[in-house]
Amino acid sequence: MAREAGIYMEYSTNEMVALEVAAGASMSGARAICSMKMVGLNVASDVLMTLAYTGVRGGLVVISADDPDCFSSQNEQDNRYYSLLANVPCLEPSNPQEAKDMLLSALRLSEDFELPVMLRLVTRVSHARKPVVFGPVGTKSQDTKFLRDVKRFVMVPSNARPRHLVLLEKMDRVKKIAEESSLNAVLGEGSLGVVTSGVSFNYCMEALNLLDLKASVLKLGFANPLPTKLITSFLKEHDPVIVVEELEPFLELHIRSIAQGAAVHHRILGKLSDPSYLPRNGELSMRLVLSAICKVLARPTPVDFQDIEDRSRMAEGLSPPRPPVLCPGCPHMASFHAIKVATGGKAVCATDIGCYALGAQPPLSVGDVMLCMGASAGISSGISKVVEDPVVGVVGDSTFFHASIPGLINAVYNKHKFVYVVLDNCTTAMTNFQPHPGTGVTGLGELSKRILIEDVAKGCGVDFVMVTDPYDLKYTISTIKEALEYKGPAVVISRHKCAILESQERRAKGKKTVLFEIDEEKCTECTACIKLLGCPALVVSQGNVSIDSILCVGCGVCAQVCPYVAIRES
Amino acid sequence: MSTTNLIVAGVGGQGVILATEILGNAALKENFDVVISEIHGMAQRGGAVVSHVRIGRKVYSPTVVEGLADAILGLEPVEVLRSLRYASDRTKIVTSKRCVIPPSVSMGVAEYPSLEQIVGMYRRFTQHITLIDAFTLAEEAGSARTQNIVLVGALAATRVLPFKNDTLKSCIQERVPRKYLEANLKAFDLGYTEASC
Repeated sequence: MAREAGIYMEYSTNEMVALEVAAGASMSGARAICSMKMVGLNVASDVLMTLAYTGVRGGLVVISADDPDCFSSQNEQDNRYYSLLANVPCLEPSNPQEAKDMLLSALRLSEDFELPVMLRLVTRVSHARKPVVFGPVGTKSQDTKFLRDVKRFVMVPSNARPRHLVLLEKMDRVKKIAEESSLNAVLGEGSLGVVTSGVSFNYCMEALNLLDLKASVLKLGFANPLPTKLITSFLKEHDPVIVVEELEPFLELHIRSIAQGAAVHHRILGKLSDPSYLPRNGELSMRLVLSAICKVLARPTPVDFQDIEDRSRMAEGLSPPRPPVLCPGCPHMASFHAIKVATGGKAVCATDIGCYALGAQPPLSVGDVMLCMGASAGISSGISKVVEDPVVGVVGDSTFFHASIPGLINAVYNKHKFVYVVLDNCTTAMTNFQPHPGTGVTGLGELSKRILIEDVAKGCGVDFVMVTDPYDLKYTISTIKEALEYKGPAVVISRHKCAILESQERRAKGKKTVLFEIDEEKCTECTACIKLLGCPALVVSQGNVSIDSILCVGCGVCAQVCPYVAIRES
Repeated sequence: MSTTNLIVAGVGGQGVILATEILGNAALKENFDVVISEIHGMAQRGGAVVSHVRIGRKVYSPTVVEGLADAILGLEPVEVLRSLRYASDRTKIVTSKRCVIPPSVSMGVAEYPSLEQIVGMYRRFTQHITLIDAFTLAEEAGSARTQNIVLVGALAATRVLPFKNDTLKSCIQERVPRKYLEANLKAFDLGYTEASC
């Protein structure tokens, strides 16, 4: 799509690099968008903090998609605080249409003030689909050249000090824009006031409709800077004022400070009030917002949520859990089994971010620590310095390139001893198979140099580097055993293409997959295959083990673990 | 006009998202406002997947209020159990009878309830229950992968959807690979007929 539109796009190795690339392009006059999930901004924050000082030339928008409720994340940080920390404008859309419209507003704002601008999304905006009306396609910026300006772009202390003042002055001017902006709007009338932003706005509107309530809603499109005058007059005209927002009481904190400054003594109710009306964790829902408004007004909720809760708890009690699991035939399953066998299950294992984090669950149970992208190398180093047990670090291919390389170099330099198993499935499987430097293909689909993990590891100074195919269990186990004996950091690359990708490619080529089946005469129903691997294609039904032919991808790993040789090609 | 609230629940890989998209596209085609919200967790396959579809003149919330779903479309019976909090006594449940056994059950750490127990639990919420042998009908249509469309057909028969069957069918036509089109259209009809009886 990028190519059709004449736009350059890339999957950068990590968010810091991505924002640097976008910053360089923008400093040279091009418009740039840099999107990431919220934890990505932690990585890119070093760039953002100082980019706010230098400012930009072509519009630059940083899109941060937050994940309240940790649907697929390791925390639920509220990135509106980054806009405050970096002192850059932040817009917050409530639905896909606004996300598209506000992106353009953000680009214009960025160009008008030569500032990077944040667009903060959440799961229910990013993973929602709604009709979106497009406008005319804009033209590319023409003024693309790098204009040398050392005082502005070289942030040595003597230049940084005056640029900080420039930033403060710019943000004062942006605040005036925010006061007048149509992105902040008051809807409806009533003495009850609701202040809200982003996805929470939707819950407020429907809750008020459902309750048939007259109320006035202040929807803030600007999360930073906030329109102080608009908020002051809204506070003066309404009592009580309920602040409805997801995660941190970001708006509420500011609104309380604005009320104090303007000496408005109306009630402000939200997460910081006593009692509190909304939780500071998880995502909001219609239920939470309806309950909060009804609690403020001391009236019953239109739905008996407690009764629903009681009955659904019974229903959920009857439901066997179905957490996300490694897919049928996933090569990671074989790698984890090999690690377990090679270490006798005694290793401490620092795992990393990716599908393979699911290996921490039974029955594989490989993964004792997981923090953030690339942390497995550093954490393994720290553990290995302290404990006597063998230490195994586990990282995926894309995460290896993202942030684990400095950790690996550190391990060599500081003489740490652990086995680093790189689970290379030749793609970024968890997030829809994006290419990465190890695939030899770019985001635009162009062929590029394939950077081999074994070459990188050797380049980092690792002397023990071996490559195995996890579908060959015996060899993988013996390789990991050998690595455990090595005196320094040892890298084992366990490489096999993602099972989903491999079956898709096979299907596209019209190749037949040889599946596996249980030889019922030999099978003793010991269920070792299931207990060792937990492959979803292995099913026990009425005491009989079978292989689901729809799910099986023919990896043959179960046949290698069966103690009775009762699994064969069908 | 009131809003139509739908929940589609199933297991990753069963086609929950495709069924949801087809329902959403049909609403769009008849000029409704529509919002779809989907959650599919960390894995590509095998985990619980649930999506919300809301159709009306103007819809704001991307998710359905607990107790206010008009219908729950189940691609797997236990996954409907997990979504019962959205049901009330007027909710229509249309679900496949075919169980997908999760690894927790195969490993012996959890038990899969009987279909009677499952339906008994549904009945604590609503009496409008349609159980469909979607797997058999899908095979009859020509591909086991069309279970989701069998169920969309069955849902259409319950008359909770505010748009015409033809609109749905044209959306199926636009969305499925040509190779499987005939099987999918047949799957829709088989599901529709089954639920109409």
